[in-house]
Amino acid sequence: MFLVSLGLRALLRNPYRSILTSLGIVIGVLSVIVLVSIGLGAKALVLQSIQNLGPNLLVVIPGSVTDSGAQVGGGTDTTLTLEDAQAIRHDCPDVWNASGALRTAAQVQSSHANWSTVILGAEPNYLPVRDWHLARGGFFGAEEEASAARVAVLGHLVASRLFGLEDPLGKFIQINHSPFRVIGILSSKGQSPMGMNQDDMVVIPLSTLQSQIMGVTYVGVILAAAQSPDRVDDARREIRDLLLLRHHIPAGGRPDFDIQALSDIAKTANRLSLILTLLLALIASISLIVGGIGILNIMLVSVRERTREIGIRMAIGARPRDILVQFLTESAALSFFGGIAGGILGILSILGLRSFLGWPAPIPWEGSLLTVAGATILGILFGLYPAWRASRLDPMEALRYE
Amino acid sequence: MQEDVRPGLSVRLDAVTKLYNVAGDELPAIRGVTLSFDKGEALALVGSSGSGKSTLLHLSGLLDRPTTGAVYYENRRVDSLSPSDRAILRNRSVGFVFQNFQLIPRTTALENVEMPLLYRGVPSRERRERARELLLSVGMGDRERHYSSQLSGGQQQRVAIARALVASPGLLLADEPTGNLDSRSAVSVLELLMKAQERTRMTLVLVTHDPEVARFASRTVRVRDGLLEKA
Repeated sequence: MFLVSLGLRALLRNPYRSILTSLGIVIGVLSVIVLVSIGLGAKALVLQSIQNLGPNLLVVIPGSVTDSGAQVGGGTDTTLTLEDAQAIRHDCPDVWNASGALRTAAQVQSSHANWSTVILGAEPNYLPVRDWHLARGGFFGAEEEASAARVAVLGHLVASRLFGLEDPLGKFIQINHSPFRVIGILSSKGQSPMGMNQDDMVVIPLSTLQSQIMGVTYVGVILAAAQSPDRVDDARREIRDLLLLRHHIPAGGRPDFDIQALSDIAKTANRLSLILTLLLALIASISLIVGGIGILNIMLVSVRERTREIGIRMAIGARPRDILVQFLTESAALSFFGGIAGGILGILSILGLRSFLGWPAPIPWEGSLLTVAGATILGILFGLYPAWRASRLDPMEALRYE
Repeated sequence: MQEDVRPGLSVRLDAVTKLYNVAGDELPAIRGVTLSFDKGEALALVGSSGSGKSTLLHLSGLLDRPTTGAVYYENRRVDSLSPSDRAILRNRSVGFVFQNFQLIPRTTALENVEMPLLYRGVPSRERRERARELLLSVGMGDRERHYSSQLSGGQQQRVAIARALVASPGLLLADEPTGNLDSRSAVSVLELLMKAQERTRMTLVLVTHDPEVARFASRTVRVRDGLLEKA
């Protein structure tokens, strides 16, 4: 035990050097903890926004246009129709509800403001399918859909941009110079997982968008909600069989649509953020190793500098083992206390990230403990060689060392 | 104060030689010496610088190993022991006093004196008490908190002597203990050594080139060119 206190006392005799030496470990541990936390935060963020979209949601998008043998990218074809959406709604037992949707960009005006946004054409049951809610007012129903009525439901952002503090309900807005009556306002939803602001849009009946603004008959996407998350796969198979039949695709032919489940995206996102976290941890570990090399370096210098002291200790009866333990204690203490300091600073940085940037970075408690333990082991490993060299010194030569 | 009279250690160097490897050349420092130190005697090894007298002292104190030949403590061969066992033997049986004091820097006088007991595993209170006694006995009782850099040469050597005696060794080896001291400090250091030797009956070996110093010893052995001179 006294050998440990000897090692610690040697560090205290040279406080600046000790602090500077352990700084490498401090920074290494700090960066491992903070980067892992950021990675975990990214993962939480992605999963949370996917969760917001609904875990039982299926997205049917048209396939790609084949133009003179060249594919023009997914989702560009115009093969999906409102009838497809209706068929899915009625003929797939595992589908709870479905809605076709189409979007375009347009300029929207109120009496005193002007805003460029997304116009989403949707069927009345789009709202329950997406699990969206209204902040105020109502949504359009089958009647407005059938008559292609000029009614609009505003996203939260659009409402405040166009009307400020005024109440938009019952007022009129202009979309491509046609007047639309505002009947409702959506509650705020934040970013979509694809990075779109879901509050920056105007929702109007699908038929109105098709006939009066875009002059088309297709839908851009069909959203279908399965009865429950564990029936997503069944629902997907039913939709696929139904659309193959409706689109007259022969058995073995290439379908002109694609069905994505948000749970697939969640899996991919999960895997990606895991890779990101590992990568960040790996990069941070490199700085930890550099910190360990710093300790190795200083301990080698220290052993050389204290050669005569080692000689004296050996002359008065220190065994090689005693010298080894003394120096090993020094490097272990340097890395241990450096690791602790890095851990504390890391957790403080994470708290700072959370309160100043609002990043949902979790504090990786187990990871922090593991990192501190790892740093200590690293310090012992890198201290082993200098300590071993110290213990193998010849007492006579060490005493003569100048 | 517990009186630590312990019969001194008898040491025998049997046909020892020592070659030093300097830049690829083997330089003989000791060319074949057989020499005994009797229990409790005070002996002076005298010779000019480079004669090999210090090397003989280091071989006797197990700081160094002979190239050939053997070293015996109480008829037990000790030069072939492991580094660890030799360290234990140095700790329990041998005290060293060096020309340049060899106190540990940035360490107080008291801590320096405690050091041999530390490696022996003596509990800290006992260690402290014993070290204080020894500092007192060399007249350094009021300097225990001083660092070696704050002490004069004579004072440092007194601390070094306290350290050499703290573990009650059977053999005290002093290598030019007055070499770096002015004549007044030198005399008091020598008197201190002789007094300690008389009190504890340990074996004392004094290496010096100074015949005045050698006069303090009861027997003188001359060394020249790595060999003993015939008396």
